[in-house]
Amino acid sequence: MQNGDPHIGMEDETYTDINGKAISLECQSHSGFCREFTVSSAKVSIGRVMVYTCAVWLSAYTIFFFTENTAVLSGAIIVTLVGMMVHIHFVKVDHETLLVIGSLGVQVSSSYASGRESTDFIEMDKIKDIVINEAIHMQRVIYYLCILLKDPTDPEGVSSVVPLFQSSKPRLNCLIKVYKSCQEILAKC
Amino acid sequence: MGADSGAGPGPSVPWRKVLWERQPFPDNYVDRRFLEELRRNEDLRQYRYWAVVREAGLVAQQITCVALFVTLWLYMEQGLLSPATLLWTGLLCALLGYGLYQALAPQADSDNQQRTRWSDLQSAAIFLSFTFGFSPVLRTLTESVSTDTVYAMTALMLLAHLVAFPYAQPSPPGSLSLNAALFASVCLASRLPGDRHIPGGAHSPSSSLHTFTMLCWALLVFALWPCLRQRLRERAPSGFGCVCVLMGMCGVVGLGSLWPGGAVLLAAALGAVTLLCPLLLIRLQSDKDNIQGPWDEAEIREDLARFLH
Amino acid sequence: MGQRRREAAVPSPPGNRHSDMLTVAPQVPAKKHNICMVSDFFYPNMGGVESHIYQLSQCLIEKGHKVVIATHAYGTRKGVRYLTNGLKVYYLPLQVMYNQSTSTTCFHSLPLLRSVFTRERITLVHAHSSFSAMAHDALFHAKTMGLNTVFTDHSLFGFADVSSVLTNKLLTVSLCDTNHIVCVSYTSKENTVLRAALNPEIVSVIPNAVDPTDFTPDPSQRHDDRITIVVVSRLVYRKGIDLLGGIIPDLCLKHPDLHFLIGGEGPKRIVLEEVREKYQLHDRVRLLGALEHKDVRRVLVQGHIFLNTSLTEAFCMAIVEGASCGLQVVSTRVGGIPEVLPEDLITLCDPTVRSLCEGLENVIARQRSGSVASPASIHAKVCTLYTWRNVAERTEKVYDRVAGQEVLPLDRRLVRLTTHCGHVAGSLFAFVAVLDFLFLLFLRWLFPDHLMDVAMDTTGPQGLWRGALDDRKGTRSKSAMLKNEKAGPHQTKL
Repeated sequence: MQNGDPHIGMEDETYTDINGKAISLECQSHSGFCREFTVSSAKVSIGRVMVYTCAVWLSAYTIFFFTENTAVLSGAIIVTLVGMMVHIHFVKVDHETLLVIGSLGVQVSSSYASGRESTDFIEMDKIKDIVINEAIHMQRVIYYLCILLKDPTDPEGVSSVVPLFQSSKPRLNCLIKVYKSCQEILAKC
Repeated sequence: MGADSGAGPGPSVPWRKVLWERQPFPDNYVDRRFLEELRRNEDLRQYRYWAVVREAGLVAQQITCVALFVTLWLYMEQGLLSPATLLWTGLLCALLGYGLYQALAPQADSDNQQRTRWSDLQSAAIFLSFTFGFSPVLRTLTESVSTDTVYAMTALMLLAHLVAFPYAQPSPPGSLSLNAALFASVCLASRLPGDRHIPGGAHSPSSSLHTFTMLCWALLVFALWPCLRQRLRERAPSGFGCVCVLMGMCGVVGLGSLWPGGAVLLAAALGAVTLLCPLLLIRLQSDKDNIQGPWDEAEIREDLARFLH
Repeated sequence: MGQRRREAAVPSPPGNRHSDMLTVAPQVPAKKHNICMVSDFFYPNMGGVESHIYQLSQCLIEKGHKVVIATHAYGTRKGVRYLTNGLKVYYLPLQVMYNQSTSTTCFHSLPLLRSVFTRERITLVHAHSSFSAMAHDALFHAKTMGLNTVFTDHSLFGFADVSSVLTNKLLTVSLCDTNHIVCVSYTSKENTVLRAALNPEIVSVIPNAVDPTDFTPDPSQRHDDRITIVVVSRLVYRKGIDLLGGIIPDLCLKHPDLHFLIGGEGPKRIVLEEVREKYQLHDRVRLLGALEHKDVRRVLVQGHIFLNTSLTEAFCMAIVEGASCGLQVVSTRVGGIPEVLPEDLITLCDPTVRSLCEGLENVIARQRSGSVASPASIHAKVCTLYTWRNVAERTEKVYDRVAGQEVLPLDRRLVRLTTHCGHVAGSLFAFVAVLDFLFLLFLRWLFPDHLMDVAMDTTGPQGLWRGALDDRKGTRSKSAMLKNEKAGPHQTKL
């Protein structure tokens, strides 16, 4: 049980995600009402890309050896290239940022390995709260941080949930740190 | 209510099988009276060998019926018997059987004999005319199905007939078993010569007549005969035994005249069902271990339908 | 082998326990258990097992234990929910097969159940109901993981037909290495001991309970110009509705002021409707249809006599509820029913129309002569008999005892299975146990225990729920989190 209070600081700290891979959390305090949290996962490792590429090419060469069809080889090259492009452009998230600006809103952005960024902004008056929740994810029960959105018809109700740090999936100790920091800002406004 | 582990001071009061009283015993206490209401093999029936043999004879009878029917089909398929001959024989058998059935009728309901006879005639006429009219259709019903499939289906249906036959109350025969048997006969009828070459080279004049014959005989063997047999059994038990043995021998001899191997198998099956299985049942009775107790679901023995009708 | 932990096994005297919930002392008593109740049957499904699990859990939480419940997902109700007092319920997405029971493949529920057991630091798995495949799965996996196990049987089974032979064999396998079994009546204990070939010493009898405050008498609701017989049960064959169909015309013809009030729904409703139609009893026999639990009392207090016609029953809470509302109880003498109420509160009859009619006529005659006890006095007698606190106390003793016991390591478990469950079934399930163990090792390699976040304690010695109530410093954030989790239907599956 991680009961110890992780103190809020500006420096990078190393945590792990739910699969045990190292991730880093960077907290930047721009002012008392504005904080930015960046969770970065490991960069694309060249070694891994090499291994996958080699595996595809070797198997393609084996097929070519038996079928003597050169289309297999060109196909393999195209598959690896397209696969890599798709991976870095749509799948591999380099870092996710949560920017909380008191009285204004929350900006959620994730930048992919290719440099592509997708950003989403939620106004403060739509936000009910930011909480840590539990969910069943791929045969496991995990914690995640999420923003509760207000139901326009019912001020007490919750209309939907926006999960945060969906691709990096940090563990609870990291989530608690972000959570407490967010709550400080939310409490002020 | 008491501690689960380690009972307190030796209880002076006897244990009672009640939950509403807090007793000075642990919850997992096992009294001497534990399971005293357990009863074993309460309604165990003692069987007598020959009584069981007599009952098992009914199963053997039905097997014989199936064998006889298949024999008739074999004769027709090989062109050894013409449908006309068979129809006349069938008519004769039916009339003889009907006479016997009426002769053995219980005296009590002789008053409404007239009406019954008239309605019997009506039903017979309806059945015969409809079957005759529809036999061309029935013949072609399974024609397009491959022969192997038809034989497999026939075997399955005859087996279903044997399984579903209401041995305890054979008159009238159950609808499932009768329908299975009739379906089997339709299947077999489509494989009779008539639309195909007979080995002899001649065309059978009417294949629809074959189908009609098959269906009539199916009705005789699978529907009417069990009724007559049941009446024989009720009214003339001594004659019944003889008829059973006679039928069994007929079946074996009939099959043997075309397929000796099959006859041996049939005889073995009949022997096993009538003689061996009852012996086994009686032997295995001693191994029976059925437990009853207060946890059993109570049975409703009364006839509650009387409140509704 | 899968033994993770060996808890302190010394039984502590019961007086040593923390009774005061709100003072969460820093020195936690050694004997608090982390219990996971597992059953296919839980709210929103309604029934005896469901309320048993809920009430027992609430009382155990009150006693300072940590309790979580695992059941399967009901429709859109998936994920993690919190009930009163921080009782956490895991609605796991497992496929439902038949009658709200999940299918069992012996393996597919292991990853999720392991995740629950590990993150909640469960020490003791308590499975409920022999009809629940999930309960048996959980027992199996818990033993593989080296956790102590308790099983509560809520039903009776026969021995005569093929289906009971098979289910009894499965029960033998499931219970042969379970630490302790709880039955709801002595008859149920005898039945379970025979079915699963158990040592009777490891089977405890702890009856069900009824919340007496829910079932108080109210004689003003009765009509004094008539005598009303109340029946509250599902209208199915096992509840003897056919017998009821025979009793109604018989008694209604004899007593023109007799009325029947029948609550419940089921396939046998048609029998009662036919009887009502045939004897033109529409104004005297009222069929109320399915009743919500909160409406049961409203129906019960309108009657003078409570009739139960069950053909089999392990405990029968209905007659206790009837008696608690001050009604004269007439019941069939089947299963555990004779053990439930003292002779002066119940009239027992054989399960035949004639015997039940005789019993009812006796009671009607006494009712007319006014020689029956008053509803208030009956309630006073009944309300102390069965309480959930008492059930929880006795269950706690079972837990204390079980916590000190050893979970069989794999080799001895295999020996136990093969020697105790017969050659075929024993070998088969020994093989399955080995596979389950290998699967567990694989899962431990894939998702190591140390990567699973320990769940926030909501109940138990340091439960956050209580902290939330105190609104103490330092737990504010967590309590806010819990509050929100409880509030919304937002337990989404990522």
